[in-house]
Amino acid sequence: MTGPRRLATPRRVTVSAARDGCPVTVDGRTVDAVRESWLVEDRWWSERPLRRRYWEVVTTCGRDEIVFHDLQKGRWWRQR
Amino acid sequence: MIACVLIPRFQLTVAAGDRTELMQQPVALAPEPGGTQQIGEVSLSAEAFGVHPGMRLGEALARCPRLSLIPPDPAGVADFWERLLVRLESMGAAVEPERPGLVCFDVRGLLRLYGGVEGVLAATRRGLRVPARYGVAPSRFAAVAAATRARVRRPLIVPGGRKEAGDFLAPLPVALLRARPALADLPVALERLGVGTLGELAALAPAALADRFGTAGLHAHELAGGGDGALRPRPAREFLREGLELPEAASGSQLEQALGLLIDRLLARRERRGRTLRAVVLSAVLVEQGGTWREQVVFREALADPARMRIVLAPRLALMPAPAQQLRLAVERFGPHANDQPGLLDDPVAARMGRLREAIRQARAAAGPDAALRVLEVDPESRVPERRAVLTPFEG
Repeated sequence: MTGPRRLATPRRVTVSAARDGCPVTVDGRTVDAVRESWLVEDRWWSERPLRRRYWEVVTTCGRDEIVFHDLQKGRWWRQR
Repeated sequence: MIACVLIPRFQLTVAAGDRTELMQQPVALAPEPGGTQQIGEVSLSAEAFGVHPGMRLGEALARCPRLSLIPPDPAGVADFWERLLVRLESMGAAVEPERPGLVCFDVRGLLRLYGGVEGVLAATRRGLRVPARYGVAPSRFAAVAAATRARVRRPLIVPGGRKEAGDFLAPLPVALLRARPALADLPVALERLGVGTLGELAALAPAALADRFGTAGLHAHELAGGGDGALRPRPAREFLREGLELPEAASGSQLEQALGLLIDRLLARRERRGRTLRAVVLSAVLVEQGGTWREQVVFREALADPARMRIVLAPRLALMPAPAQQLRLAVERFGPHANDQPGLLDDPVAARMGRLREAIRQARAAAGPDAALRVLEVDPESRVPERRAVLTPFEG
């Protein structure tokens, strides 16, 4: 390791969402329940603003997942 | 000039002990318990049947059904060999033991003391007091070859320099290269290629040998030409040992109690002079003439703490193949003076941190710099998870 390594870095995930943005499947697993959702907006004053819609969901197999939708670039990521 | 002392069948002779009549019959050292099923040294009678050291046990018994097996005696061999080396060192020789029964030393520093090579050999013979073969030559390899060709009372001396050593080695078979573990596989390949003697090997071009055999080929060419590396004599050693006769055949918790006693007695010896122990040898005489058992233990750090020594050594007792009637503990190597005695007002937290630092150092030495990392909170209140913490090297 050459220097400090960040923890909890986001990883790509495949999510299909409903029209309102709510995840329907995460990596092919059907979402059973949405536990929470929140919005994070940061660095809006800089050239690299950050806008994320977080979802904490439970899939049908019982996994608790936290995924977010990057509202700037339109991609989905998983984060613990 | 290098002198070589060769005691043929040393391990077999020691293991046979007083039963000298056994050596007249086909006998061999039995395989080590738990090791590969290969026999050790064999007697002359066994050799006549085509049995040789390192042969698989099944093949040896097939070649010689009357072959008797003697349990190995690693502790007895190590003790007796150490005594012989100390005798050589006491006459001023800086010895480099290759294996039990074979040792070399440089005679140049002893020539004036004993009046020439013959004088040195005579002093060696008087000092050792066991029948041995002696060879003297300009290189170590040639000296070993000379010792294998010498008779018991007639040392073989090869005078001169490298060229004379090469001339002496020229008619000898390439099988002598087996004495070097790194070259053990070379003689078979050379013989298949029609290279039967060391002279034929020396006549080959080094580039051709390097092309076919790599560095082993170049090394063999150097040896066959009368060259060899310099001797690396062992440092002078002290012999410190404690033993305990066990009234009954002991195993399990009895042995652990005996081990604790031995550790206490060894640490109490005045000759230790406050030094820590770096390596020890745990050995035992097994019951029912089952031979001996020997285990060398190198501590991760030099220590003089009986509790920690017991933690390290006690599991080794389980490796013993049979109950013991005698247990021994000897110092193989000393460490620096003990300086880890806890003071009256030592902070236990500091002591714990010190042990943690040492554990991290050893983990990094074994698994690399990433073996110990710590989570450093950079911005724990951040709403963006990846900004909250980073992994950094652990600094104890």
